[in-house]
Amino acid sequence: MAENSSLVRSTPAAMAARLKRRYAAETRFRLAGITAIALALGFLATLIFTIFSNGLTAFVQTSVKVEVAFDPEVLGIGNDRSPDALAGANYGQVIKESLYKQFPTVEGRSERRELVGLVSSGADITLRKMLAANPALIGTTQSVWLIAGDDIDMAMKGHISRTPGADGNRLTDRQLGWIGDLERQGAIRKGFNTTLFTTGDSREPELAGLWGAVVGSFFSLSITLIVCFPLGVATAVYLEEFAPKNKWTDIIEVNINNLAAVPSVVFGLLGLAIFLNFFGMPRSAPLVGGLVLALISLPTIIIAGRAALKAVPPSIREAALGLGASKQQMVTDHVLPLAMPGILTGTILGMAHALGETAPLLMIGMVAFIVDIPASPMDPAAVLPVQVYLWADSPERAFVERTSAAIMVLLFFLGMMNLAAILLRKKFERRW
Amino acid sequence: MQLLILMVVLLALTTFGFRLGRGRAIAASGNNPRLLHSLPRYHGYYVALWSGLPALFLIAAWLMLEPSLLHSAVMSALPADLQGLSEERLALVYNEVRNVARYGHVPSTDAVGQAAAGYIGVRDTVFLSVAALALALAVAGLAFARKRIEVELRARNRVESVVKVFLVLASLAAIFTTIGIVLSLLFESLRFFQAVSIFEFLFGTQWSPQMAIRSDQVGSSGAFGAIPLFTGTLLISGIAMLVAVPLGLLSAIYMSEYAAPKFRSVVKPLLEILAGIPTVVYGFFAALTVAPFFREIGASMGLSVASESALAAGMVMGIMIIPFVSSLSDDVITAVPNSLREGSYGLGATKSETIKQVVLPAALPGIVGGVLLAVSRAIGETMIVVMAAGLAANLTANPLEAVTTVTTQIVTLLVGDQEFDSPKTLAAFALGLVLFTVTLALNVVALSIVNKYREKYD
Amino acid sequence: MNKSLAVAAVALATVAFAGAAQARDQIRIVGSSTVYPFTTAVAEQFGKAGKFKTPVVESTGTGGGFKLFCAGVGPDHPDLTNASRAIKKSEFETCAKNGVADVVEMKVGYDGIVLAASKKAKHMDITRQQMFLALAKDVPQGGKLVPNPYTMWNQIDPKLPAAKIEVLGPPPTSGTRDAFVELVMEAAAETFPELKELKKSDEKAFKKAYSSVREDGGYVEAGENDNLIVQKLDANPNAFGIFGYSFLDQNSDKLQGSMVDGVAPTFDNIAASKYPVSRPLFVYAKKAHVGQIPGIKEYLAEYTSEKAWGKTGYLADKGLIPMPDSERKEWAAKINGLEALKM
Repeated sequence: MAENSSLVRSTPAAMAARLKRRYAAETRFRLAGITAIALALGFLATLIFTIFSNGLTAFVQTSVKVEVAFDPEVLGIGNDRSPDALAGANYGQVIKESLYKQFPTVEGRSERRELVGLVSSGADITLRKMLAANPALIGTTQSVWLIAGDDIDMAMKGHISRTPGADGNRLTDRQLGWIGDLERQGAIRKGFNTTLFTTGDSREPELAGLWGAVVGSFFSLSITLIVCFPLGVATAVYLEEFAPKNKWTDIIEVNINNLAAVPSVVFGLLGLAIFLNFFGMPRSAPLVGGLVLALISLPTIIIAGRAALKAVPPSIREAALGLGASKQQMVTDHVLPLAMPGILTGTILGMAHALGETAPLLMIGMVAFIVDIPASPMDPAAVLPVQVYLWADSPERAFVERTSAAIMVLLFFLGMMNLAAILLRKKFERRW
Repeated sequence: MQLLILMVVLLALTTFGFRLGRGRAIAASGNNPRLLHSLPRYHGYYVALWSGLPALFLIAAWLMLEPSLLHSAVMSALPADLQGLSEERLALVYNEVRNVARYGHVPSTDAVGQAAAGYIGVRDTVFLSVAALALALAVAGLAFARKRIEVELRARNRVESVVKVFLVLASLAAIFTTIGIVLSLLFESLRFFQAVSIFEFLFGTQWSPQMAIRSDQVGSSGAFGAIPLFTGTLLISGIAMLVAVPLGLLSAIYMSEYAAPKFRSVVKPLLEILAGIPTVVYGFFAALTVAPFFREIGASMGLSVASESALAAGMVMGIMIIPFVSSLSDDVITAVPNSLREGSYGLGATKSETIKQVVLPAALPGIVGGVLLAVSRAIGETMIVVMAAGLAANLTANPLEAVTTVTTQIVTLLVGDQEFDSPKTLAAFALGLVLFTVTLALNVVALSIVNKYREKYD
Repeated sequence: MNKSLAVAAVALATVAFAGAAQARDQIRIVGSSTVYPFTTAVAEQFGKAGKFKTPVVESTGTGGGFKLFCAGVGPDHPDLTNASRAIKKSEFETCAKNGVADVVEMKVGYDGIVLAASKKAKHMDITRQQMFLALAKDVPQGGKLVPNPYTMWNQIDPKLPAAKIEVLGPPPTSGTRDAFVELVMEAAAETFPELKELKKSDEKAFKKAYSSVREDGGYVEAGENDNLIVQKLDANPNAFGIFGYSFLDQNSDKLQGSMVDGVAPTFDNIAASKYPVSRPLFVYAKKAHVGQIPGIKEYLAEYTSEKAWGKTGYLADKGLIPMPDSERKEWAAKINGLEALKM
């Protein structure tokens, strides 16, 4: 190119051609940039769309109207009306008998099993609650809306096919027929899914809820905040304002930067070896989860805190010192208040990150099957992302929907936290 | 609950101490605070600290000692026939005693009921005495400090030195974390290397960690060669980088060099959302949507794509890392001085020529540093591979096959397992040590490159 | 003052949390992943009755469960363990050695071990002998044992599908693995003359021969999570999985069970003991913990109630194959009387 360029340059036509080529390259390069951004955003859109289209239906729940006969014989309680007897009565059988009566033509073990599958195996809890509140119902027949089985629920929501004979359908043609019958009678309906927000985990998708995980996340994050906010701010203040420049503080600095890049699963190993094995803290407890998350978030908060402190101009410090403030007075009365919005923003973002963290919690046993809502940070509990992981691993079709719903709840909390951080930043942002 | 009340009372006392100290200081100066060595509020802090800190230390010490104290008190009071039980049976009895005492369970025997009553008695007596002592300490500290208040008292210096001690201690927390990580990994890994030679672990090509757990059982050979895990990790991270680096870099270039500020202010936060989504969500997305998608595409082209192909996991991981690469390169590109660009324009170069031939070469070290950080991120990523990568340790470079990674194996080895005497569980710590070392090294190199680069243009 | 208030509040909160070294007032269960769905179902019912906390159940595999269960008595050790095979003598002795003297055995019901694949795959009819040839580490060939040469199913028998042998199965900690080795591998091994010879001459080598499963990728140990295997099978139509019948039953829309020795794994075939690979399931309880960890006796009573393990009980809905009436009655009496196991 070098030899003949002097020749080419002389003709205006060649020059124009070359210019055209160069401009085309320019356009191509710009296009590549736009495409990259579009691709990345496209992925984001696909991800969000997949989750939402899968998860939205989880917020409604199908229930079936059943004429329930509270026969004391079937309940197996005889004449005993004590709360203990009522709590231990055989409600499952009551539901079964009522269903057999409602569909008298159904006979045979497998057919009856299909029939019973219309109603969730956890529907007896509804009946237990009814009787506990009003024992006078014994001996009467009531029409009760019972939670439908997960397959029925899936069919009603269109997640599994309702065409009879469809390949690989979990519902038999008979069951599909019954659903049709129930629909015609108006005995099947969809309503808001309160279970999802009020109960703990369950092996039955239609009974599984997120509340236990939400409470577990809340406890964990509280512990994280209590531990790492004071520590993080104090460290940031010390390193930024007081620490002498020497080898020792250099080590601390390098150490913090590196700690921020350590994979979170390694923190899980630390938690397992130190907190569980060495100190003998309880497995699956939000206390331990919170401590591990605190160690993970600490570097983030320190780094954010230092950046916020750095952003306060030296003139403020000099003015304070010039007026006779001590160094600590300068920090606590002038620098820290000005840096606080920045520190808080960093903290909220760190907490949001901790809320989404999963891997280290698997190491400390937060993957057990836990039904009860934790009452304190010492009780076994799951947290939201772990619940997502547990549900994602469950084979039932209905758990796909619920996993997506759990993700939506998780993203909602994350969105709120980020929004708070953004608002905080907007409100207090200062340009010096 | 009682503890909470005690703490609230203590808090009230220190608040009172603060006011008292401040008032006393003002009074001592004859209502002319300017005469004081320290501001009145420092006198207040001084008194508050004296009344609060000793009591807090006492309560902390009590909390640490309480369980063992109660244990020995209850145990020594147990009837003789229970005392003779083995230690473990005693622990069970003690557990029941506590259950009865704390949650009001019905005791199974009278002895337990009595012990529970004793437990409650001892607990309450000790608590009351500790509470009394703590309050006495608080009041004494308060009185002592109040007495020392005078015009010349260097209250500020004293308060500040306490604060300073707290600051220094806090800054050590990060160091302790590192020490904790290194010690726990090293200690368990050493135990592992006593059973499996370090050479076999690092260079063996067969990974089959299950071992027989009874003497009368034959398990698998228990091979701990981690090479397939390392190659699997590299394969998946490599695919991730192939996705993340071009996309991240190009979007960073576009946003820093071409985009209007308005476009940038909208798109940048949107891209950052990708980094804010929890990894478990990506894992779900990879396993549910991306992997089947690839398998079907492969099937339509006549290729057999494993359902847990390295490709799916790697690609989703790449998406996750895009904002990481783009924001780091963005910083680096913006840091290139404008004089370089202007010089290039002055010579007649177009914008893309300037970027390709001037800006990028100048920014290259920083970009390399950023990419290294992203690699370390990819290597340590866990949830995506746990949910979307395979379990079988295949030694292959084919992205369509399933491979397993270091992090996946750590999780599989440890989840559900609660014993720490078999090489199988200890292997997880050895893998953790390798992971820690590699990411640390990558990070140190990357940070030093980035720092050097920054110095060049600062 | 703000700052000291904040400091005090923080100290208060930390101190309030740190002090609570917890007493355990809920049942802890470990053990087999095959029994896990039944035990959790009972746990949920038990917890919802409201008198006791819901037991915490972790799936650790039968062997892992026994190891934890037999480690000792006391609140740090689990109260019950699930097992997909009966306790071994060696395990019982470990228990006794560690002070776990009285163990109550509860037979829960029956379960079949199935070789299942995705519905998208071709249906397979296989014999136990063929399974041995596909999965053993060394197979008899020309009078001696050679490392397993088969990589495709149709190399064993042209009637089997022309697909790569890829079986996801349980690790040695699993009771399903033990039962599989006993019911399939051992039974099949005895049909080969070479191995029969070996059994006579060297019992130990015989045992090693039938219980060593290939490690060249044909058999993948998939951990203690049967759900995971189901997911992986659904995703990969060429793979087979080995697990309990209940998982097949719960996932009948996605999976199909292969016929073994000409018998399909169905509820009725297993209940009638026609299906060759079926075994009983167990739960073991520590007698020493009864009364001291609240709720154990009541939990066992819930488990053995007709509404749970009966013919139409909720466990049958989950895929458990109930014992005959008389056997159920016998076991219920034994369990509720807390009769200790003797060996």
